[in-house]
Formats: sequence, structure tokens, C-alpha cells
Amino acid sequence: MWLQLNIDFSFNSFFSKKTKEKSLHKLPLAVAGLALIAGFNTVNASQSDLGPSITIQETSGEKCVLPAEEMRRQHPDLLKHDRIKTLREGVRAKADGGVLDGSLKQCVNCHSIKDDNNKYVRIDNDQHFCVSCHKYAAVSIDCFQCHRDIPEGSGDFHALSNHKDMNYNAVVPGTYSLTVQDMANIAPEVHSDDN
Amino acid sequence: MTINIENEKQQDAAEVESSRRNFIFGTVAAAGLTVAPGVMLYQTANARSLSEKASSKVRWGMLVDTTKQVDWNKCVDACNKEHGLDNEKNSRDDQKTQYIRVVDVKNKGTGHSMSLPVMCQHCEQAPCVDVCPTGASMKRPDGIVLVDRHRCIGCRYCMMACPYKARSFVHEVLSDQTENTPRGKGCVESCNMCVNRIDNGQEPACVEASNGAIVFGDLNDPESSIAKLLKERGGKQIRADLKLNPGVHYQGI
Repeated sequence: MWLQLNIDFSFNSFFSKKTKEKSLHKLPLAVAGLALIAGFNTVNASQSDLGPSITIQETSGEKCVLPAEEMRRQHPDLLKHDRIKTLREGVRAKADGGVLDGSLKQCVNCHSIKDDNNKYVRIDNDQHFCVSCHKYAAVSIDCFQCHRDIPEGSGDFHALSNHKDMNYNAVVPGTYSLTVQDMANIAPEVHSDDN
Repeated sequence: MTINIENEKQQDAAEVESSRRNFIFGTVAAAGLTVAPGVMLYQTANARSLSEKASSKVRWGMLVDTTKQVDWNKCVDACNKEHGLDNEKNSRDDQKTQYIRVVDVKNKGTGHSMSLPVMCQHCEQAPCVDVCPTGASMKRPDGIVLVDRHRCIGCRYCMMACPYKARSFVHEVLSDQTENTPRGKGCVESCNMCVNRIDNGQEPACVEASNGAIVFGDLNDPESSIAKLLKERGGKQIRADLKLNPGVHYQGI
């Protein structure tokens, strides 16, 4: 069991899936030997070949509330701080009217990932922005047991989205000044079936 | 004496709509959020901006006129839609979440029957807040009683304490929640008077769907339509003998 686990996790990149499965069933010792040899070879391998890799899809937003390095370390604190402000105190925006730093809704809106079929990937998908890192770090989060994991509606009208699929001219011919009715037409109530 | 609520509402709307619209879209444009359009009807005497804390100057309340011939199930539907309720697949009917229940009552002596919507009554002295062991069941300064799911451990003590049977417990894993109402397995929940809508200057969903039979507003503001109606025509609280001072009042019961 230990050997299998070892091979699975540490030397993933050195075996094709087919070879690995076959070996595991028939020749565990031989595979262990191969694994050891392969292990020595990693001395010469580039760093990117070591261990499992993580792929975080870039979002094309303008900027996050803090630089990426600080967000990586501080996002739990931001979320916890602002959830108290919002839920318990009723504060919905910053003093300048901007979105709260720790608004999970806004996090989801910007950091939503679409798959090949142009549908948002949900929290059970490894490509989901939060999952991609948290799975790697083996830190389980329960935010999305309650919170919505993908944007509501088309997601094209949110602040930092790339707006690439939106044809504004078709929606409001010749103008960007939106009335209440325009907003109603542009952002109809879209339910999860559409995602 | 009768008061035409429709006309009064339209006047209110006309007075506040333009400034309110500017307020909403000015703020929201800066915030970069998509907000569904809604007509703002309630008084703005104690209005606060999105960045201010809820204040005890305001006491939000509702006045339900049960004498109006209204299909209360429309309010329930609007509530379900707003909060993404009714998406439990594996729960029994009596386990499923209800924020509003339509209660039919009949006087056996006279044979007179009526129905009324019963939601969280948003008590001033809320028993659910008193008994909560974690501080999850809470009352905002502006009188809205709600559950902080970050702290709720699902003990359901508040459900036992509530004399109005207003709270529900989520028994199964949920997905596809709405953006504004996070809800999930293991937490107690109840009507939160559409707190997200109120903070954004909109009326609760059931009020909007009630065709004027439910009036929403600030009980502390003597100029608000709800305070005027209560002053002129009075209103009853359910189980007023418990002295919990609910924020939801009824006429015609």
C-alpha cells in the first residue's frame, strides 16, 4: 500500500497512466525499483517536474483588492473580517461606495472559470479557482456549502470580468446610458440551468 | 375609514424614485455590482448608505392586511424565488424550509374562515436570540432577526423557542443557492425580511408580490406609511400576550 501511494503521488510525471496501472497490478516490486531509479533521476529534472503541479487559471480582471502575494496570505482574514461587517452590522460597501474587500460574492464573480463549453465550473471541479489551490494545499473550505460557487446570471456585467462575450451595441443601440428598464432587459433573472 | 394604499404608494414612489434611482445607480456603478431593478417605495427619513452600519434609529416592520383578497401563495412563491428555497430534493415535506407559511384559521362558532401569511415576526425580545448558545441567532440594530450561519451549529434550540414556528432546518446538502441568500445543510434559517434587499433600498420580495396587502416600512418613523396606517387603523400582533413585541403586525385578525 505504501509503495502504491508513493508511486501515485511522488512519481506521477514519470509514468503514463496506462503503464502505471498495469505495473501496479502485476509487478509492484519491479515498479518500486523503477520508482527508485526514477527518483534518483529527479536530481537532474527541472523543478517543474517535481511533485504534483498546480494550475491556476488567470482571470482577466484589472486588479484584485491586494497584490497577489498578499492575497494568497491574507484572503481568509479579509473574508472573516468583512463577513462580520456585512452580516452582523449591515455594512454592504466601503466608505467610497466600493465593494468590500472580503465580499465572497465579488470574489466569485471575478475569479469564475469557464470550461470548454463556456459554462462556469462548479466547486466540485478541480479547475474552480478556489479548489485548484486548496486541493493542492489540502485545506478544505466549507464556504461553498452555503455560498453560491459561480456567478449568477451571465456574469458579464460584473466589475472585473473580461466582458468578452458581451455585445453592448446589440443590447443598447448606440448608447451606454442605461435606464432602469434597460437594466431589466440586460440582466434578466437567470437561473442555474443556464450555467 | 379606508385608506387607498395603492395611491399612497404611488405618491411615495413618485417622490423618492428619482433621487433613489440616482442613489442606487450612483453607488452601485462605483461598486461595480449588478443590481436587479426594483421600485423603491418606503420612506427615506432614516435612509442610510451602503457603507453605514444598520442603526437602531430604524425599526423595520411589516403590516399585513388580511382583509384584502390576496393569494398569499404568491408571496410564498416570490419568497422562494428570492431566496432560492424549495430546492431540497430528499427532504420530507415537513422538513423543507419555509420562510412564509400560509395559515388557514376557522372560527367554529361562526364558521368564518380566513388565511394569513406567517413568517418570522422579528420580535423585539426574540426568544430565538435569547436561547442561542453561539450567538448565531441575532437581532440587527434595525430590528431584523436573522441567523448568522457562520456561527450556527444546528442545535435547533431556536426552533424550539420560537412561538411562531418560523424557523426551519436544512437537512440535506444543497447546491445552486442564490447569490444573496447563502444556505446549506446543518443550519437553521428563517425569514430575514430580505435583508439584502432592504440594505439596497428595496422592499422585501413578499411585499412586492402582495399587491399592496403587505406594507413595509420604518415603525420608528411617524411619517412612514406603515406608521400612519398603524396609527389610524391599528394592528394586532400574533400572540401579543407573550410581550415579545413583534415587528410584523396584522389587520383583520
